Amino acid sequence: MKAGALVENIRMSVRSIASNKVRSFLTALGVMIGTGAVIAMLALGAGAQKSVEGSLQALGSNLLIVYSGQPRGGALIRRSTTNIIPTITDADIEAIRRLIPNLITSLAPESSANGQAKFGSTNVNVTIVGTGVDYPLIRNVRPVTGSFFTPADLDGKKTVVVLGAQVYQDLFQNAGDPLGQKVRLNGLSYRVIGVLERKGNSTTDSSVFVPITTYKRYVSGADKYALVNVQAASVEVMREAQSAIEKELLRLHRLPTMDSADFYIANQLDLLNTLQGVAGTFTLLLGGIAAISLIVGGIGIMNIMLVSVTERTREIGIRMALGAKTGDIIAQFMTEAIILSVGGGLIGIGIGYGTSWAFSKFGGIASEVNLLAVILSFGFSVLIGLFFGGYPAYHASRLDPIQALRYE
Amino acid sequence: MITVKNLSRHYQMGPTIVKALDDVSFTIEGGEFVAIVGPSGSGKSTLMNILGCLDSPTLGSYVLAGEEVSHLKPNQLAEIRNRRIGFVFQSFNLLPRETALENVELPLIYQGVPLKERKKIALAMLERVGLEGREKHIPSELSGGQRQRVAIARALAASPSILLADEPTGALDTKTGVEIMELFHALHKEGSTIILVTHDPGIARQAERVIQIQDGRILKDLPSKEWAA
Repeated sequence: MKAGALVENIRMSVRSIASNKVRSFLTALGVMIGTGAVIAMLALGAGAQKSVEGSLQALGSNLLIVYSGQPRGGALIRRSTTNIIPTITDADIEAIRRLIPNLITSLAPESSANGQAKFGSTNVNVTIVGTGVDYPLIRNVRPVTGSFFTPADLDGKKTVVVLGAQVYQDLFQNAGDPLGQKVRLNGLSYRVIGVLERKGNSTTDSSVFVPITTYKRYVSGADKYALVNVQAASVEVMREAQSAIEKELLRLHRLPTMDSADFYIANQLDLLNTLQGVAGTFTLLLGGIAAISLIVGGIGIMNIMLVSVTERTREIGIRMALGAKTGDIIAQFMTEAIILSVGGGLIGIGIGYGTSWAFSKFGGIASEVNLLAVILSFGFSVLIGLFFGGYPAYHASRLDPIQALRYE
Repeated sequence: MITVKNLSRHYQMGPTIVKALDDVSFTIEGGEFVAIVGPSGSGKSTLMNILGCLDSPTLGSYVLAGEEVSHLKPNQLAEIRNRRIGFVFQSFNLLPRETALENVELPLIYQGVPLKERKKIALAMLERVGLEGREKHIPSELSGGQRQRVAIARALAASPSILLADEPTGALDTKTGVEIMELFHALHKEGSTIILVTHDPGIARQAERVIQIQDGRILKDLPSKEWAA
């Protein structure tokens, strides 16, 4: 086909599309909605994936948590540990500590209990958490005011406390310098040395943190721990670190296998994989449904093109009599189908962006338009035009010019 | 210009074979004005379709402007139609959404003639048929006679070897029909080869020569004066 013929085809197609605006719009509407849906749904999926990754990152990096108790299905990280019967001993802690520096970088034991915090005449229910100095590092939570407790606080069993963001807000109404103030926990007076940043999860924000040694002396007499937060040396050694800890603890607890263990290890990697898998399935599901609507849009194009070919049988006959070849007729109708689907696809991209924006703005749902998704769904809509325009165009090109000229 | 030899066109109609054209031979020289006449069902439409390269004969040979075209494939026939044949139809067969100028341009588009040259030729052709100033009108804005003039301009645009007119006055009132026939006479005087297919003896008589078809065979092939007598 000559280059001039392409320009000619586009001009003729635009004229034919413009001569029946409502029908053309309705024809392209299917592709618009389809493309828009694919982009918006993939944006939702990408947003979900990102927020999953974000909230897991907030838990800390390369995190392993050794919990007391029977393994539970899914081993999801439970931050509320107040109802756990502790089974992890000091000997266990020391055994895990020996894995530094090859497999792990740091660890922080943790026990917690419900309690009351009182400042002046205000008092609130809190979770009192006893832990080690590496807790902020491992759990990725930083003090915004003051500092976390030091090894000296730990060794001296000092009555110092670091407040969660919500506790600080409730006790101090966000006013005044809390550092050095006395807060009573279960009746005993503690000196405030820091306030943690807001994490957005209520368990951390409504907890207060004291040295584990202090916790064992004043809050709970038990000498075992509910759990141990462990930071693996790297992502690559997380599984190795997990099995090394399992092996050590099974030996110390004199247990044959993990099936009968009185502890279990939650691995951030597993959690990440699980959640990413869920988000991925979610994306696939949404994208798949949207893709079906895109195909339905394509069928709409085919339907209208077939009607159009029938309506224009005589025009096709005239063109053939004047010298249009098979290829010329195919090119003409294909051009029309492609213009409709590409036009629909372009508007659909706009709809996709708009929908995604509206999800974030009004729905409060994270969504992120992925350039790849835009290219993919647009390319797909072009292919739809080619594929579903192909049959009507072929049909048109096979008409017998004599019959076509006689068509009323 | 045209040499047709032992031309036959058969159709299979159930178990029987219908011979729409049966062993037809004639020659038409360049510059001739020939009428093909016959009642409906005589085979004249079949002959016209074959002469116009819209159909191929079952048997026999058809040489158009020195080229054997009886066994060409559809796309090759399309090219012959494009370069060699100028069609004028009873019902004009203009594209309703395109302007007069664009309609005349059509055969040139399929020839790949560049836009500027195309427009120039098309304008000249419209002028030739007396439609200067009407080039921007679409067919529904033109009278029947004007539409047929646009169709004739379109038929002339690609400088074809023959003008093939199928009942060109059939859809026009008498007065307009006379004007269109005058245009054909003028084109004939300028050297065009014209084949006019009609059932109307009054129209046929205006040609130089009349080929009368009946039952798929040539009944008479005479100069029009002798035929009319």
